[in-house]
Parts: sequence; C-alpha cells; structure tokens
Amino acid sequence: MTKKTRYFMAGSAAVLTAGLGTGLVAYFVGGFTPVSAAPIANELRYVPADSAVIAYADVRSIMDSDLRQQLKAAMPMHEKGQEEFQAQTGIDIEKDIDYVVAAAAGPTPEAGGLVVARGRFNNTQLEALATQHGGRLEEYQGKRLIHSPDNGGQQMTLAFLEAGLVAIGTKATVQRAIDAQMSSRSVTGNSEMMDLVAEIGNSSNAWAVGRFDTIAQQAKLPAEIASRMPPVKWFAASGHVNGGISGTLRAEANDDASAELLRRQVSGALAFGEMVAKSDPKVGALINSLQLSGSGKTVALSFTVPAELLAMIPAAVERH
Amino acid sequence: MNHPTPARPLPPAPSFVASSLRIMDLSISEMLWSRRTVFMLLIVSAPVLIALFVRLLVGLGAPLFEETRNGVTTVRMTGPAIFGMMIWIFYLRFTVPVLGVFYGTSLIADEVEDKTITYLFTRPIAKGAVLVGKYLAYLVCTVFVVLPSVMLVYLLIVPMQGSLGGSFLDLLKDLSLLALGLAVYGAVFAFIGAKFKRPLLIGLIFIFGWEQAALAFPGYLKYYTVAYYLQALVPHAMPNDSTLSMIQGIFRQTPGMATSLLGLFVIWAIFLSVAAWVVERREYVLEQ
Repeated sequence: MTKKTRYFMAGSAAVLTAGLGTGLVAYFVGGFTPVSAAPIANELRYVPADSAVIAYADVRSIMDSDLRQQLKAAMPMHEKGQEEFQAQTGIDIEKDIDYVVAAAAGPTPEAGGLVVARGRFNNTQLEALATQHGGRLEEYQGKRLIHSPDNGGQQMTLAFLEAGLVAIGTKATVQRAIDAQMSSRSVTGNSEMMDLVAEIGNSSNAWAVGRFDTIAQQAKLPAEIASRMPPVKWFAASGHVNGGISGTLRAEANDDASAELLRRQVSGALAFGEMVAKSDPKVGALINSLQLSGSGKTVALSFTVPAELLAMIPAAVERH
Repeated sequence: MNHPTPARPLPPAPSFVASSLRIMDLSISEMLWSRRTVFMLLIVSAPVLIALFVRLLVGLGAPLFEETRNGVTTVRMTGPAIFGMMIWIFYLRFTVPVLGVFYGTSLIADEVEDKTITYLFTRPIAKGAVLVGKYLAYLVCTVFVVLPSVMLVYLLIVPMQGSLGGSFLDLLKDLSLLALGLAVYGAVFAFIGAKFKRPLLIGLIFIFGWEQAALAFPGYLKYYTVAYYLQALVPHAMPNDSTLSMIQGIFRQTPGMATSLLGLFVIWAIFLSVAAWVVERREYVLEQ
C-alpha cells in the first residue's frame, strides 16, 4: 500500500469517525436541534404527525420516587393484579418499564391512542403467551405485531418496534406509528410542538403537550363555555414527582390579547381560591404556591404540592 | 571429494488467507488510483454537492422545508426524510449496484485485459486467493469512498428540521446496509466477471433489467435478486419517485431482518465461493 493510499484511507476514516462521533454525542446528550434535545427523540419518531397530544412519563423515576414509596407504605397496593399482569405478559411494571410515551388521537376518526414503552421485554415469552390466549402474530414493515383476539370489543395490537421498545394501541394506530417512523413523517416534523417538548422535557419526569384547540373541539364543550374561552393554541403540562409534586401548566394563546385575557381569568380564579382557603391553612399553602407568570402569548401557572400535604392523602382515604 | 551443497528447502507456500491479504495489499493502491475511481468519485460526490447546495439555499432563507398558509407555518419536509430519500435514490438504487458492477466485474477481467494475470497465477498461491484478495481490495476501496460521502450528506441534511441524534440509529443502519450491499453485489459481479465474457454488459442488465423487473412483479422472482433482501433493511420509506418505483411499492414484500440478513449472507457466500472456484479451474487464454 502506497503512502498516498494510506493518507487517503486515513482521511476517509477521519471523516467517518468525526461523523459517527458527532452523531453519537447528539444521540446521548441531545442538542443541535430542539428534537434531539428531547430525551425521547427516538420514541417520538413513532408518534404520527397529526397527534393532538403527546405525553411522557418516566415510569422508573416515578416508581422509585419518595412520594411513591410513602404512598406504597401508607396504602399497600393490590399486588395481585400486578403479579397476574406479569405472569400474563412477562412484564414487571415495577422494574421492566423505564418510560412511556403516549399519544392521543388527531383529527382523523380512525386514529386512536398509542403508547410506546421503553424497557426490557421478553419478546419470545410475549409472543408465546399471546398465541396461547388466541392472539395472532403478523409482520408489518419488518416489525412483529401481536393482535389480541377479536372478542367483539376493541382489538389491541402490540408491536415490537426495536429491541426494548414496544408500541401498544389499535391495529390501525400501531401501523400508523410504524409508517410514521418509516416515512420520517412523525410529530418530530412539528417544530412548534417539538420546541415545547424540548423546553419542558428536560426538567420534569412527566409531561404532556398538545393542541388545545383540537382537544377543545373534540371535547364538545358547551357552546356557552367554548365561546367565552380565550383562543389557546397549545398547552403544556409538566410535573416533577419526587418527595412532593411540582409542576407547571402553560398555555400558548393565539395572540397577546387572548393571553392577557387568560391571565386575568386565572388571576381572578386564584383570588377566589385564596378567599375560600382562608379557613384551611394547608389548602391556603397550596393556593399560595400557585404562581402565575408569562408574557406575550404565554401564560404559565406553576405549583408545588408539598410532601406534607400529600402525606395526608392516605389518612383521608382511610377515613372514607 | 566435494559434496554437493544440499538444496535450500523451499519456504512453505503462504496460506489462503495470507495470500488473499497480500494480494489485497498489492491491489488497493492500483484500484484506488485508477481511472475507475474518478468515476466513483463523481458518483459519490453528486449527493454531497446536492446536499451542500440545499444547505446553502436554506441558509440564504429559501423556504424549502416550510410552507406558510393563512399565516401558519408548517413543516413540509424534514431533513431526515430527505436524507432517507437520498439514501434510496442515490446510494441504494444506483451507487452500490453500479460500483459493484464496475469494480466486481473487473477484478479478474482487468488482469486478463492487461495480460498481467500470468504474473499472479505463477506465484505459489491458490488462484482463488487472487480473486478473494482483489475482492477485499474492492471492498476496502468502495467502503472508504462511499461511507464518508453518506456521512457528509447526513451532517449537511439531517439537522434541517431534524435531529442528528434522532437519526443516528438510522445512520448506523444505513452505513451497515450500504457496506453489506457493496459486499454482496461485489461477490455476485466477481462471479460474473470470472465466469462470463462481456461481464459489464451482463452486470448492467442484471441491475437495471432483471432486478427492476423482478421487483415490479408479484410472485417469487424477487427472491432471486439482491435488492429484495437489501431494501428490506432500509430504515426509510421507499420513495415513489417514478412509475416503476410506484409499481414496485405496490408489490413490495418486506422480509424480516433475520431473513434478509440470511438471504444476503447466502448470496454472498455462494457467489464468492463459486467465483473463487471458477478462477481456480478456468484457463485464461491471453490474446496475443
């Protein structure tokens, strides 16, 4: 091999290494664009582009949170159902699922809810159990699908998208999710939604982002309420669960005037809440933790539910 | 009394693998700096130049990826989707099979044409090792030219309305399947080059005639193509950019990953072994 050839090959290898290194850093750290800043960039690529709401829950950190441990100790859960689910599917919710991404229907009627879960799944066991219970296996675009038996109700489908990644939903929804990833026409193409995801995704272990106008339209609100609501385009809700719960509700109005109207309405509701809560200091503390903020088209309401307040829940449940 | 000096024992002939590697080492430079490489550089630099041009236009503010209707800006196309289309159109359907034909068919044919095959065949090495060594040289040359080109396109195109990190797994799949494609097509055309006269014509008919036709018809004919198994591994949607690709899309079957990998491995192993066997047995008559 001549020296010239060695130089050429070293140059090629350098380009390859630099590119792979950049991609690897972007994959693990995020950055470069809003989408990759989201820790679930890969999962979002399975969410169809017309989804109205995306939600995320870091199941692992919520399960391990102090709050959950306290609640578990105070209110022993019904472990039997969980064990039965594990025996049926081989999935231990406590340990096997790391996080889930859920997407709710868009405007098309055939679109349903979709859940994409990341974790450790025994594909062989899942397939064997499904077959035993009358499930049907199918291959779609190179992915294995398991259809639940059609008992007259809604038929559910589970798809093995990648190693450690499954999708659950109706057959049409799951197939649309696979198509979205294959065609690169997923929700990641929606830059407004991805900007919101990138903003709230890094600081919370549960969040939801969606188009408020689409949801309000589907919710079929009474005309009197719908006509008085200021036009809001996007909403985002994020929460961090550990000892207590802290979170933010955020709305993006269509224009500055609508946002101002919404701020005034929320401000009025908070004032009314403070007046009502004067008799109960604990509820008063909760109301006081609500902070209204935002400028321009943005309205944000942050809150904190302290661990002490949450510790009262088991006692209240027992009383009832 | 003079005793005759005992003859020095001949060193043992190198093994098949050692011979192949030696031939590879000898052939790489010859292959890389040939006129054929200019053609290869032209082919692989086209998508890079297009990516650069698109990037420049977007940088100058051309609304290539977005459209605004009634004051609402929506994303019409994303960088990852364009990258996927480029992988299909430039690399998978054209660059990989064409490089396979041009290099694969010439592995032995060039030596015959240049009348230098005698020098290789008179060495104490298996004739099959000559072909395998030259095949390895082809693989190194093409992989080191094609994959950096893909990498540059990825870095230029994907960040536009997309994410480098989000598309990283697809990039790894793309690089692997292109390397796999070069290996398998190279093996098929190495056999054609070793066995037939006018191998280039047969190779071009195979990739632009047989493969395209077989994929466009329903039935089992597509099982006898490389593209059927290779295209099943592509992580991007197949673009419907022509009538033929639309028809192929209609009758497209996607075998599972295991089936595809097994299919490609079987094709590669059979054709490379048979090519080496043909070279071992064939008498190449050099024209005077």
